[in-house]
Amino acid sequence: MPILRDVLGRIATVWALLGGAILMTIVLATVFNVGALAVARVLAPLGLGPSGVAGYDDFVRLLVSAAALMLFPYCQLQRGHVAVDLLFDRFSARLQRRLETLWLLAMAAVAAFLFYWMVQGMLDARSFGTVAAVLGWAEWPFYLPGLLSVALWAAVALNDAVLSARGLNGQGRTELSKAESTAGPAPLPDGGQNG
Amino acid sequence: MGERELIGLIGFLSLFGLLALRVPVGLAMILVGITGNYALSLVAPFLRFEPYLRQFKTLLWNTVASYDLSVVPLFILMGFLASEANLSRDLFQGIRAMIGRLRGGVAMAAVGACGCFGAVCGSSLATAATMGRVALPELKAMRYSPRLSTGVLAAGGTLGILIPPSVALVLYATVVEASIIEMFQAAIVPGILAMAFFVIVVAVYVRVLPQSAPPAEAMAGPAVRRAIWRLIPVLLIFGAIILGLGAGLYTPTPAAAIGVFAILAYAVALRLITGEGLTWRGFKAALLNTAVISGMIYFILFGAEVLETFFARSNLPAMLADSVLASGIEPWTLLIVVLLLLIVLGMFMESLSMILVVVPFLWPALEAINGGAFVGAVDAAFGMTTDDLKVWFGILALIVVELGLITPPVGLNVFIISSLSKDVAMRDTFIGVMPFFCVELIRVALILAVPVLALGLPAWLS
Repeated sequence: MPILRDVLGRIATVWALLGGAILMTIVLATVFNVGALAVARVLAPLGLGPSGVAGYDDFVRLLVSAAALMLFPYCQLQRGHVAVDLLFDRFSARLQRRLETLWLLAMAAVAAFLFYWMVQGMLDARSFGTVAAVLGWAEWPFYLPGLLSVALWAAVALNDAVLSARGLNGQGRTELSKAESTAGPAPLPDGGQNG
Repeated sequence: MGERELIGLIGFLSLFGLLALRVPVGLAMILVGITGNYALSLVAPFLRFEPYLRQFKTLLWNTVASYDLSVVPLFILMGFLASEANLSRDLFQGIRAMIGRLRGGVAMAAVGACGCFGAVCGSSLATAATMGRVALPELKAMRYSPRLSTGVLAAGGTLGILIPPSVALVLYATVVEASIIEMFQAAIVPGILAMAFFVIVVAVYVRVLPQSAPPAEAMAGPAVRRAIWRLIPVLLIFGAIILGLGAGLYTPTPAAAIGVFAILAYAVALRLITGEGLTWRGFKAALLNTAVISGMIYFILFGAEVLETFFARSNLPAMLADSVLASGIEPWTLLIVVLLLLIVLGMFMESLSMILVVVPFLWPALEAINGGAFVGAVDAAFGMTTDDLKVWFGILALIVVELGLITPPVGLNVFIISSLSKDVAMRDTFIGVMPFFCVELIRVALILAVPVLALGLPAWLS
């Protein structure tokens, strides 16, 4: 299972970087769009120049739907989901581990539940021919990266639950990262990761 | 109280029970939302469970496929790129070069850098951690007192939440359906006020306790020139984003995307010209850290959607609003109780989660006591329309939520700064943060007494 975590970890990392690449695509499209609008404004009195890029909002919306969900598995891998350490530290180590296992299982179950319903949603979107308002692009293909992400998220959570049950999920956590994870992870200036 | 409301109340209490057991916030919201809706379908057959479940076909996808919320990962990426490119250090060094010779000037520079970096970074804890690493060694080397050094940085971390672009402002606006641009505009004066107050605190502190900040030696001429030269592009980028958003020159998503592009271009140019700036490894780290924070926020947003449906179907927020009206409680008393509650919760909960968990629950009561959604300013309990109340309350709520981060005994910003300065007792950090805590209370009182501080700029700009 630790080997499986390593494999899942690599996949989730590459997947998150692909999500980041999609975000960068949005950035470049925006720079292009803003540039085009600026040129259009300058050349408008002459009756020349491009108009604004049609469907920019749709483009961003569809791309960010894929990118956002692609970040979930890595967030799970890093245990980035924010939680509150109110009573937890007062429990015995054994109880802490059991609760941790339980919540990881619940997370995996929720991800599997969402996967099932998202498949139904994608099939509906396909059969109804749902398209983006301005671009006219079919929406259902944009469910696919989300579905893969949710499946990967479920796998990461389930594997971590098994590891946790066996007491094998010891990730070295510094005092700083522990304090941060209490209230949400924070960027580490030296490029370190949270969790 | 009917059965539906009772189930809503049990759900609300269960949510906090689960949170106390360290269930991730988003997961706790989803578990309570789904279980609660199932329970509702048992006591109220017209609230059928199966049709409710079908909404999950599109709920997750629709939550993330939002143009308005696309600013969230972009703003976060912008903050991480700035952090990886060491722009936080350039900010601090540049401001220090300009005002460092003043008594307490290095601490004042830390305030300025915290405000600017916090605005772009969007996370108080991250700002405290980043600026703590940059500024603490300098303050220590200049023989500033440990209390002042740690206090100013723990408090400085809270500055960013109100200065645009702030993810917290975006989420609050989404929750109460307010204009994001108006929220940004409303936050500018209170944000500047906070920075001014913190600088005044430092000035008074070092006047009362001169030994806490020995006079600084002048930086060498070339070092000053270099620091200011490096500060200018950072200020231009940050300033263009902050002022442009605040003035409504552009909308948040293009601003965030252009901000990412500008910081990336500058950081790469810096790398090519000076060998500093952003490395490929730093770029990857920024993307991965963005994945962690954005994934966390999107998951909580989705949990909030699930929970909101449950509360709406349970009728609990509406009943709470009716009860508040029937109780005859004074509107101002209610507002102050709500703000105190947010301070207490802010000690334990991260601000974004709190906005998404607590605000949807409290907002209907405030709206009701003000006179409803369509009340005119003349007839309203707070003397303002509900749209203005949304903005004003949002600014107040975000300030007090952040106040929880420096409130003893559980201020999380203080914990972070303490973890970075092992030789300073946490008690000293809490003592050091107290003057800043007090001026924050004054700021809250000022904005309560003079709402135009928050509402004036949006009204003027509109």
